[in-house]
Amino acid sequence: MANTESHKQKRGLVAIDGAIALIVILLVVQIWLLSATLETYLAGHTSTVVPAAIFSGLLFSACLALNLFVDRVDKESRHN
Amino acid sequence: MHGYEFYVDPSRCIGCQSCVQACAECETHRGTSMINFDFIDRQGTTASAAYVCWHCDEPTCAMVCPADAIKKGDDGIVQSSLKPRCIGCSNCVLACPFGIPKIFPEYEQMMKCDMCYDRTSVGRRPMCATVCPSQALAYVRPEEIARRREKPTNVFQFGNQRIVTRVHMMVPAETDAVSLDVLDYMWEESYAAFSQPQ
Amino acid sequence: MPLFRSPSKEPLWKEEFSVFTSDERYVTRRQFTKFLTLASLGMFVGNLWILVKSRFVKAPQFSAMEIAEVGEIPIRGVKLFTYPTPQDHCIMVRTSEDEYVAYSQKCTHLSCAVYYSAKNDRLECPCHQGFFSIKDGSVLQGPPPRPLPQITLEREGTKLFATGVKGT
Repeated sequence: MANTESHKQKRGLVAIDGAIALIVILLVVQIWLLSATLETYLAGHTSTVVPAAIFSGLLFSACLALNLFVDRVDKESRHN
Repeated sequence: MHGYEFYVDPSRCIGCQSCVQACAECETHRGTSMINFDFIDRQGTTASAAYVCWHCDEPTCAMVCPADAIKKGDDGIVQSSLKPRCIGCSNCVLACPFGIPKIFPEYEQMMKCDMCYDRTSVGRRPMCATVCPSQALAYVRPEEIARRREKPTNVFQFGNQRIVTRVHMMVPAETDAVSLDVLDYMWEESYAAFSQPQ
Repeated sequence: MPLFRSPSKEPLWKEEFSVFTSDERYVTRRQFTKFLTLASLGMFVGNLWILVKSRFVKAPQFSAMEIAEVGEIPIRGVKLFTYPTPQDHCIMVRTSEDEYVAYSQKCTHLSCAVYYSAKNDRLECPCHQGFFSIKDGSVLQGPPPRPLPQITLEREGTKLFATGVKGT
């Protein structure tokens, strides 16, 4: 019962696995960015806050794009 | 098996219950038969019918299962409930239009026919179809069934629900869908009618 | 949430609890991806919050407080005082004839009290060998992550006033 996926579905799963790995990496970067921004802000350097927010937004958009990609692969490879 | 289909013809059933015994010999569910064996009208006739799971395209049992325990493979066979997930709630028993799933309260599990998956997945016939002497349960190629007078159909109409199944039922040639009204088969109605003074 | 879900003919419960075994792995992966994206959104909101805070929250102003007389301490001498509250211990050092500097005495590493080392002309923390510059309180060596907050001083006549705190 384990090998119930067709070849096309297996390829879809591999693509999704790759996208998830990418998202995790981006998330780790975002976690570090948040902690570093907080630290610098609390230390008084307010100049880094704006670029950090912008970059965090970019990372989030990348995560969102990957999420939509996963949704698309999911829809194409699903049974029904 | 590729190319083979399952055909059920209740009019051919002679009531020998070989299918019930053969099914019970399976190692997977030792001693418990998954055949639904009916006496049509025990009082009035010796007619009987044996049914297996119809492996619907959109299995009602799977759709109502709260534990997501019933799954259908890509080969179209609706498997029996997954042991770790089934909670024995009987939702599938109540939902199945054909009344196929059996609930076993002693181990809180539902079990049903899975087309002898351990046999059909390796190119053998299901046990019941192998032993049925009248071939009321038949697992053959469509060409062989075409030689019979009756025609196979796999479309059923239960009130508003249209069900397409994997297993075929032999019906008279002009029938395209088997329509069933549940009220026709409720025994309380006929019992009440019988006990009324004429 | 019909806003974020692309339209499909199947209702959501049928997609998430699919009857097909081959769909199970897709469902779990899609749910995990959704969760990760949500976490990413959370981080982004956190960064935005910091941005908003930096824009709208002003640094607190403290009133001036007299702390010493001019000439009270010798050159390279030290005076301890508390500013702005009695719990905030500070250290003032006279670096030359006319120059005074003052810093918070709490080491930015783990809040040990720093002392002035005249021999090395720097502020030293005895706990983990953290050294601060006497000129601006920046970290010369050791585990402290940030410079010492500086107390701004003003001279009015013969009195020295502490007027504010720079940094945290």
